[in-house]
Amino acid sequence: MNQGDALPSVEKSVTQERVERYAEASGDFNPIHVDDEFASQSQFGGRIAHGMMIAATISEMMTTAFGRAWLESGRMKIRFRAPVFPGEQIRTGGTVKSVRERDEGVEIACAVQVTKDNGETAISGDAVVTVEAG
Amino acid sequence: MVDRYVDAVQDESHMATERELAPPMSIAALSLTGVVQDLQIPGGTLHVGQEFQFSGAVSVGATLECVATLKTNSIRGGWRFMVVDSVVTEGGNRLVMTGKSTITLPEDLAGGGAGK
Repeated sequence: MNQGDALPSVEKSVTQERVERYAEASGDFNPIHVDDEFASQSQFGGRIAHGMMIAATISEMMTTAFGRAWLESGRMKIRFRAPVFPGEQIRTGGTVKSVRERDEGVEIACAVQVTKDNGETAISGDAVVTVEAG
Repeated sequence: MVDRYVDAVQDESHMATERELAPPMSIAALSLTGVVQDLQIPGGTLHVGQEFQFSGAVSVGATLECVATLKTNSIRGGWRFMVVDSVVTEGGNRLVMTGKSTITLPEDLAGGGAGK
């Protein structure tokens, strides 16, 4: 990978059914995600997807790009900037910002983001992984 | 748990489809849920920021331990902000993940365990 290279993008449809499956799998039943009546009284006016469910697409992208190195050395720092509502589409992408030789390998730093189909950024941040040299 | 997680997030990456190694975000998701439950943080909490560092792959079936520390608990503009550091180990000593979660909720919802 070289500076400026794009990471393999990930696209998903977010549905309420998937949100509920995520709640079951993670144990996170925050009513903002699963209780329509509660969520309708919130500042969002309705249920929203778990931020960590959306962030999982960044990890999926990094795993696809870097394999096991992501599981063993990955670092990520992200901000949740806008909620994702069931029914929306998301596209997760990234760009290599820098490639540096380190004692432990080659450190690749990437800018990452999740964008909704309306153009709004749902998540932005940085992800760093160290891969074997050569 | 991993199968259900992968199914829910529709992770199509190679590591996930092999189903021998846990996706790192599945570990992160479980640790965050544990933190929210242990701190008795009420519904309506919003996740505003997250940091992770993964230190080792985890095989499906492994037993993990998560230790979380509430580092910051403050109120600004009617919102309570909490920063929680977490450390996940396997077998008591092999570090697999560290994390820092920033979560917020309206102060009028915070009332219970979150403020203590």
